[in-house]
Amino acid sequence: MTGTTTAQSQDNTGSDEPLLRLRGVKKHFPVQSSALIRGEQEYVHAVDGVDLDVRRGETLGLVGETGCGKSTLARCIARLYDLTEGTIELDGRDISTLSRREMRPLRREIQMIFQDPYGSLNPRRRVGSIIGEPFAIHDIGSRRERKKQVQELMELVGLNPEHYNRFPADFSGGQRQRIGAARALALKPKMLVCDEPVSALDVSIQAQLINLLADLQDELGLTYVFITHDLSVVRHISDRIAVMYLGKVMEVAPVEELFETSRHPYTRALLSALPVPDPDLADRREQIILVGDMPTPVHPPSGCRFHTRCPKAQPDCAEVVPPLEKAKDDDSADHLTACLYPMDPDERLSRARATVADSEIVADDSALGGVS
Amino acid sequence: MSLLEIRDLEVSFNTPDGVVRAVRGLSFDLDRGKTLAIVGESGSGKSVSTQSLTGLSRGAHVTGSATFDGIDLLTADEHQLRGIRGARIGMIFQDPLSSLHPYYRVGWQIVEMIRAHDRSVSKRAARDRAAQLLSMVGIPHAKDRIGDFPHQFSGGMRQRVMIAMAMSVEPDLLIADEPTTALDVTVQAQVLAVMRKLQDEMGTAIILITHDLGVVAEMSDEIVVMYAGQVMERASRRDLFYRHHHPYTEGLLASLPAQGGKGTRLSPIKGTPPSSINPPDRCPFAPRCPYAFDKCWRENPLPRVVFGDLSHQSACWLSTDEATRREERARMVASKLSAEEPA
Repeated sequence: MTGTTTAQSQDNTGSDEPLLRLRGVKKHFPVQSSALIRGEQEYVHAVDGVDLDVRRGETLGLVGETGCGKSTLARCIARLYDLTEGTIELDGRDISTLSRREMRPLRREIQMIFQDPYGSLNPRRRVGSIIGEPFAIHDIGSRRERKKQVQELMELVGLNPEHYNRFPADFSGGQRQRIGAARALALKPKMLVCDEPVSALDVSIQAQLINLLADLQDELGLTYVFITHDLSVVRHISDRIAVMYLGKVMEVAPVEELFETSRHPYTRALLSALPVPDPDLADRREQIILVGDMPTPVHPPSGCRFHTRCPKAQPDCAEVVPPLEKAKDDDSADHLTACLYPMDPDERLSRARATVADSEIVADDSALGGVS
Repeated sequence: MSLLEIRDLEVSFNTPDGVVRAVRGLSFDLDRGKTLAIVGESGSGKSVSTQSLTGLSRGAHVTGSATFDGIDLLTADEHQLRGIRGARIGMIFQDPLSSLHPYYRVGWQIVEMIRAHDRSVSKRAARDRAAQLLSMVGIPHAKDRIGDFPHQFSGGMRQRVMIAMAMSVEPDLLIADEPTTALDVTVQAQVLAVMRKLQDEMGTAIILITHDLGVVAEMSDEIVVMYAGQVMERASRRDLFYRHHHPYTEGLLASLPAQGGKGTRLSPIKGTPPSSINPPDRCPFAPRCPYAFDKCWRENPLPRVVFGDLSHQSACWLSTDEATRREERARMVASKLSAEEPA
């Protein structure tokens, strides 16, 4: 396993043992294509060597763009996918190799909320039976007890318990996400993996749900892994944030440290691209517009995966895979960066010049100008 | 005279459940080279209002007037509209995959667009122009890629192809309906930069329809906030963010998770948006408005000038005096805070 040394230093004290520990997690999917005829199987490297700890009671935000592997990683954590490589420890126990049957009792500990409030609820079943499904699967309680518990759950997430017999179609998008949350909470999990839970909702409804998730965390002592592409949401809800790019973690840091002194050029570009709802700030700030598109995860770039688009890439960036480690002395121990040339807070990325071979550059967007 | 002048636009649909009043009284002016943003949540009527301008809202009952460079779009016949739609008013939509034809090469689609509006352009010239446009919107190796099919482009590139296509005939007005909603932030930044650049070069006026207040803050000159088919507030960019009058605008901005970190609570607007079927004759926001008083439940306010600034309008019965309105807000914030403290 590569790169396992760096993140381990943070968890040597027994009481601080993380709830979840990922080491060298990889998930590759076979590509179905004509490559099979040529006899060589190709793989999508969706998640390609992730080391992360999730601590008890915290919210870990997982951000990144489409195709960075954040949702695949979430499904690996919830054991909806088997790992290609690596280990996942829950409470110190390796769950990555458990069989379906062995996994079953542990499924109560980790539950998931999905993005699509329309696709994740069976339209032909009543809300009461959807939320009560986990009780049925795990054979808990009598019918009467279940109904009572389901109604308590509905109350907990702010739904009217009298709507027990309604169908999902009778609810709005925000209410459906509440149904999803109630179902996830039914078995009193320790951890909730939320995959873009508020992305499909309008802002006023989104705010209601974010408050609900924060309240539930306080009340029930939940640990969240919160996946989103919306940086302002993740800033609001997280304790720590991990930034992913092409299947790897580029930077992980406490929220404010990430927003104020991000070290990785990709983090910097990502944060600068976020539109701010404040005209003066929008006019003042420096925006870094990345060149080209994300490379395919079937043939990820060598070395640092971001080097083909990085404004300050150097020749060795194409060769050396940078380890995820503490980048500068004044970073906190929680702040890890995978970059050979980490940035200083006052460094201007727009002035940087990459010195990578021309063949490496993905696109010539000179028409765009790098910066606005 | 402005390029586009919209007055009292009303759009309604007959449905089995009753009359859906999708847009109720939209008025605005838009000058060349300027960007007007229409903001609102799902179902606020922001998309329908612009679709009705180009005759794309089939089955709708449209009243009011929409004068585009001296021509009333609402009374123009199909022949006149065909000369305007596409040629002088370009459109881009949220989903670029369903707006591009999957069977035809991207270059062919742009050539077709150019030649449909001007038959005198030779195929070769149109092809060169297509390649030039694709490189203008930042498609790498544009010359080689005009022979590719839409599925061979990524989402962000497809949206740029759509922009290239809409801009190919240099329209006076571009209607962009949630152009970056399906895109990642870094790609969104690329696409918005392309739009700004083309606007600078061609002097195009843009109507930007979005729910993202961040995009609005970066792109717009003027902003119209819609709710339940009505204009709640209309103001310049800075006024809307820093000196807004309407409680709905206030609620929208307070719902944004940008201000504080973990532990701070968001102040969402309570409740859910109303149905547009047979709306009652009162302020549509009253049931969710923390400031609502008896008049709001009796009469539907029309947009009126607030804070003594002719360019700033708000459809709300609260005081139009800036100092008074600010005091009301301070009192509301104080009472909210005291309500959250346990007694």
